[in-house]
Amino acid sequence: MQHFTHQLELFPDCSVTLILFNDVKNAVALRKKAMEGSIDGALINPAMIVDPFQILVATNKAVHLHRIGKMKTRTLNAEIIFNLSPNNNISDALKKFGISDNDSAVLIVLIEDKEKTVNLESIISQVEGQQVSLAELHKITDIAKVKKMYRLTPQEEKIGTLLDGIICRMSTKDIA
Amino acid sequence: AGPAASGAAGTCGRSAEAAGPADSMPTSWAACSMAGGGGEVGARAVSSPPLRGLQLVQQGAEARLYRGQFLGRAAVVKFRFPKRYRHPALEERLSRRRTAQEARSLLRCRRAGISAPVVYFVDYVSNCIYLEDIVESTTVRDYITSVQQSGKDTNNLFLVAEKIGEVLARMHDEDLIHGDLTTSNMLLRPPVEELDLVLIDFGLSFISGLPEDKGVDLYVLERAFLSTHPNTDALFEALLKKYSTTSKKSSLVIKKLDEVRLRGRKRSMVG
Repeated sequence: MQHFTHQLELFPDCSVTLILFNDVKNAVALRKKAMEGSIDGALINPAMIVDPFQILVATNKAVHLHRIGKMKTRTLNAEIIFNLSPNNNISDALKKFGISDNDSAVLIVLIEDKEKTVNLESIISQVEGQQVSLAELHKITDIAKVKKMYRLTPQEEKIGTLLDGIICRMSTKDIA
Repeated sequence: AGPAASGAAGTCGRSAEAAGPADSMPTSWAACSMAGGGGEVGARAVSSPPLRGLQLVQQGAEARLYRGQFLGRAAVVKFRFPKRYRHPALEERLSRRRTAQEARSLLRCRRAGISAPVVYFVDYVSNCIYLEDIVESTTVRDYITSVQQSGKDTNNLFLVAEKIGEVLARMHDEDLIHGDLTTSNMLLRPPVEELDLVLIDFGLSFISGLPEDKGVDLYVLERAFLSTHPNTDALFEALLKKYSTTSKKSSLVIKKLDEVRLRGRKRSMVG
């Protein structure tokens, strides 16, 4: 059981699964499949992720907005990726946090609820890469890139972790 | 009920003993009617604050505080429940504005290096803020009270007062006005001796560079402080002194504070 699943407290019928892959060879094809919809999941660049909590916060917000019909993007999966960004520029967010054609690591986020079940095996089989445990995430994270993206202030780093700063920006970007 | 606070604001103070992890004790919904507040909103999808599995910690005039797990972390949920005594249109706007303002101020504090809880999620439909739970924290209010009662380590109180002065100075230098400064709105992370101060409850906060607003902010604290904690004039003085030395713009602020004191309630108009 290398993947990570969490049931959303606010949406108990909804559970989120995170799967991490390394040495991915077919990022181009995966991107296409995601855009076409043959893979119903959010394909995220794990170099920008410091902790699964970051994904959960983005996903929780996405599901919330989806359920009240107030998403900023057109699909739930795009919304998850968008929510990771500290700013409100959608295309920039999808570019920076989504996967690129030459990425060798991919993090897939799958949402399962009353209406939709998820076939893990089928998703995993479509990835030409090595599935690894979420515990390996820290090896893939590009801390410098993350810091540059989220622009934590030096004072902020003294009172909390990088993750704290990231979460704050993600959760308040729509009113700050 | 907290010490002197403006009108509708409630102080969501926290007790020293931390509630344990959420015992899925369902919160009684009977007391709070969430459904259909403000008819003008029409057919909004129900995102009623699923406050099941969370434990009610505090009921204030303004909001209810719950504690529990959120996405695998210890969290606190501040729920600004609908106030039936308010006009519905006003109610909607006010609650949302305060929720948004609080979230905004919390971010602003953190960016300036002032300890405040991390915001995990803001639900603008039900006006709930999901925040980091400062586990096993003690309010400054409880700390002062307990030290005074035990009579021990009273010197620590001066250190706490100075820490408060220092933090407020930095906050005001960011032009952030708290709006509801009381000792119940200041937490100390364990162990208290480390003086790791965390500010909370930014619902009445706003941005202002005016010395007048900063002076009033301090005045609110002074009144709350002195009324809650008897015989603490020297403590508060130490607080102000540290404030003056930390803040770059303090002299004008203290001057205004003096003026506001003269204006205050129950002033004898003799002479």
